[in-house]
Amino acid sequence: MKLRELNLPGRRTRDREPHTLAGAYVMDAITPPDRARFESHLARCEECAQEVASLREATARLAGAAAVAPPAALKERVMAAAAMTRQHPPVTSETESQVRMTRSGTWHRSMAGRSGRVRLAVAAGAAAAVVVLAAAVVFGVSAGTMRHQLSQAQSSSQQVAAVLTAHDATMMTGTVAGGGTVTIVMSHAMHALVFTAAGLHPLSASRGYELWLIGPAGTRPVGMLPPDSSHMTGPLVASGLRPGDHLALTAAPPGGSARPNAPMMLDVTL
Amino acid sequence: MGDLSVQIGLVARGDTAAFDVVYEQIASSVFGIVLRVMRDPAQSEEVSQDVMLEIWRDAAKFDPRRGSGMAWVTTLAHRRAVDRVRSVQKQSDRELRVATADIPYDEVAEAVESTFERERVRRCLDSLTDLQRESVNLAYYRGYTYGQVASLLGVPTGTIKTRMRDALVRLRDCLGAAL
Repeated sequence: MKLRELNLPGRRTRDREPHTLAGAYVMDAITPPDRARFESHLARCEECAQEVASLREATARLAGAAAVAPPAALKERVMAAAAMTRQHPPVTSETESQVRMTRSGTWHRSMAGRSGRVRLAVAAGAAAAVVVLAAAVVFGVSAGTMRHQLSQAQSSSQQVAAVLTAHDATMMTGTVAGGGTVTIVMSHAMHALVFTAAGLHPLSASRGYELWLIGPAGTRPVGMLPPDSSHMTGPLVASGLRPGDHLALTAAPPGGSARPNAPMMLDVTL
Repeated sequence: MGDLSVQIGLVARGDTAAFDVVYEQIASSVFGIVLRVMRDPAQSEEVSQDVMLEIWRDAAKFDPRRGSGMAWVTTLAHRRAVDRVRSVQKQSDRELRVATADIPYDEVAEAVESTFERERVRRCLDSLTDLQRESVNLAYYRGYTYGQVASLLGVPTGTIKTRMRDALVRLRDCLGAAL
């Protein structure tokens, strides 16, 4: 026993360390990389999964002790929004493999080159139905459709092409609160992304969609989205992409606003 | 299986009447914990609405074998509130931070519904060591990471991680015994 410990100090640390994170994990007192590491550990450690489940009962009581009745209007909004929101089917082994297949799908082989990868993330949404989920890739725009959209490009087609053919081009799709799908292809090497949207919900006459880059480098307006033509918007090239940026979509007055106002109808971590 | 778990199972099949029942059972816990973490009532309403819709949309993901309905719901709510607070901080939106940081704790606490449950949890929190209790307060109710908690309390991160886990184990046992 002693010998094994001496022989495998690294392994021993790795095996023990995740266990101690159970409390921090259950309280969300953890950074995203730690969270991901702990969750992959959880998937292999039934004992840890049970501990986490039991500790969650304790945090549920902590939440209950902080209970405050929300304004009555919240219920009306929730019920109205639910009536317009399609429910997700249960996750089965069938859907899981479909997601995996799509994630490594043809887009990246044909367009994005060797280091292509699909990443999807969402910062907790501000608005009613912000839905950006990993599985959105399944419902996303296929490479073929994307190319078709892009052939109709009105904005600088050279800039668009440069991003799409970059060696690190990465595609992401997501859905917008209120309706619509966005497809983003970004390249950190080119410091730019191409944004297209389909089926965006029309805003009132005095508002338009405004796109933002938000990150450690500050909050920068990308611009107002042009009016859609037959449900397609863009492509729009956003340059000046910096590491750690989010892409956000807000409703703004026609000339744009000074800062991104809530609610954000899309917030994608790039 | 508790009543809430059964109702969530019905919601997964699109039962809007069950969703109404679920809403009534969880609304104050969801809004309360989101408000406690975020402090801003308007933003807390937005996040609570997102949480409620997530429950509607993803009810099929709930697995009653892996915990109670309330644990599932409050986990979603707390995580969203914390993620939102941290993404706001990432934007280095100082104005917002200053504006919300100044709300005295008592103002929020006053709005909290006084219940037996709250008293019970309070008693169990009181049974923790100071370091355990502070870790729970800062992490769960204020949304700090264990690294931030460690630096606020001037304690090594390894110690804080352990204290957090010990605290929850003790709370779980204390609250379980009080049921």
